[in-house]
Amino acid sequence: MNLGVMNRVMDRSENRGLRLLPGLLAMFSLGLFLIPAFVIRPFHHQSERALELAIAVKRIAPALTVVAVAGVVALSVRLWRKSSSVLRAGIVMALVLSAASAVMVRQNYFEWMFHPIAAAGFVSVGDAHLGDKEMVMAVRIGRETRAYPIVQMAYHHILNDTVGDVPIAVTY
Amino acid sequence: MWKRTARGRELHFYLAGINNQNFLMRDRETGSWWQQVTGRAISGELVGSALELMPSDELTFALWKSESSNEHGLVLAPVAGHEKDYDKEWEKEVAKYPVPLTFPGQGLRDRDVILGVTLGGQARAFPLAKVRSQSPVEDKIAGVPVALVTGPDGESVRVFRSQWNGMDIELYRDAHSDGQSPEWRLLDSQGNTWNFAGCATSGPASGQCLEKINFLKDYWFDWKNYNPRTTVYNH
Repeated sequence: MNLGVMNRVMDRSENRGLRLLPGLLAMFSLGLFLIPAFVIRPFHHQSERALELAIAVKRIAPALTVVAVAGVVALSVRLWRKSSSVLRAGIVMALVLSAASAVMVRQNYFEWMFHPIAAAGFVSVGDAHLGDKEMVMAVRIGRETRAYPIVQMAYHHILNDTVGDVPIAVTY
Repeated sequence: MWKRTARGRELHFYLAGINNQNFLMRDRETGSWWQQVTGRAISGELVGSALELMPSDELTFALWKSESSNEHGLVLAPVAGHEKDYDKEWEKEVAKYPVPLTFPGQGLRDRDVILGVTLGGQARAFPLAKVRSQSPVEDKIAGVPVALVTGPDGESVRVFRSQWNGMDIELYRDAHSDGQSPEWRLLDSQGNTWNFAGCATSGPASGQCLEKINFLKDYWFDWKNYNPRTTVYNH
C-alpha cells in the first residue's frame, strides 16, 4: 500500500468517526435537557437519588450545552464540503437539536405554567374584590397586616414581599 | 410563610420545580434549591440552611377583615392578565390528581387534609374534618396541652397552647355561640372567656392571650413523607 492510499483510508475512517460526532453531541445535549425534565415531572414520584441527579445535571447543563454547540459547529464546518446531502441533513439536525437544548436548559418552564409576580400590587381592605368566604394567608408584623388570597397564591405559588421591614417569602 | 434570609443574606425566591407534588424553589442570589414545605435548602451553596418560619394564619377574608379593621391592612391585588388563571375550584381539581406517594395504614386517605403540629420533636396529624366537627379539639403533644379551634366562620382554624398562668386549661364552646353569632367565644374551667385571637375577653385572664402554635395544613401523604414518625389524632 503506498502512502497516498493509506492517507485516503485513514482519512475516510477518521471522517466516519467525525461524522458520528455531531449526532452524539446533539444527543448528549438533548439528554442534559431531558433527564431533569423527565425526573422533575409533576404528578410523578421523585426519589431522592433521581432528584439529586436531576439537580446535578441542571447545574452543569448550561455550560456543557454551549460546549456541545461549539463542537457541532466546528465539526459542521469541517465536514460540510465533503458530505453527501443525507449527511448534511444530519448535520443540520444536530445543529438544531444542540442549539435547541442549549436554549431549553436556560428556560424555567415552571414559570411558563405559573407566572411569577413581577411586581406585587396591593389594595386596601375596602377596595379588595374578595368574597367573605374566600381564604387568605394572613400575616401581621408590627402594625402592618397583609392578606394574600389563596386562590392567587395557589397559582403564582411564591411572592417575595417585605412587611414591616421584614423580608418574607409567601409560599403556597 | 418564611423569612427570606439565610446566613445574613436577603434572598429572592422563584419557582423551580416539583418534588413529590411539593414545589422546589431557588433563590436568585445563590441558585440554591429549597423545598417549599420544609424551608430547607437541599442543594447548592446554602445546602443545609433552614429558613425561619413566619407565623401566619389561613383565614376567611371576612374574619381577617374583622380582626384587622383598626390596622393598616393591605390585600394582594390580582396580577393583571392572570385573573382567568385564578381557579376558585382549584382544591377540587387538585383532589383529582394522582398521588406520587401513598401511606396507608394510619386510617387516612392520601389526600385527606390534615393539620400537622410538631412540638418537642413529636409530630401529630389532626384530620381537618374532625377539627371542624369537634372544635375545640384538645390534645397533648410531647406533654404540651394544645387546642385546635375552628373560628366563628366555621372555616378558619387556629391552634393554641391551652395553658394560662402555668396551668392547663380546658376550653369548651359557649353553648350560645353559633357560626353566625358575633358573640362567638370559648369558655374555660377558670371562668375566662376567650375570643378566636386567643385573647381573654373576661375573667381573671382578661386582656391576656394564649400562645399561638404554628401548624401546617397539608395533605396526609405530604405530611407523612416529611414526618415519617407522625401519629394521627383519632379520638
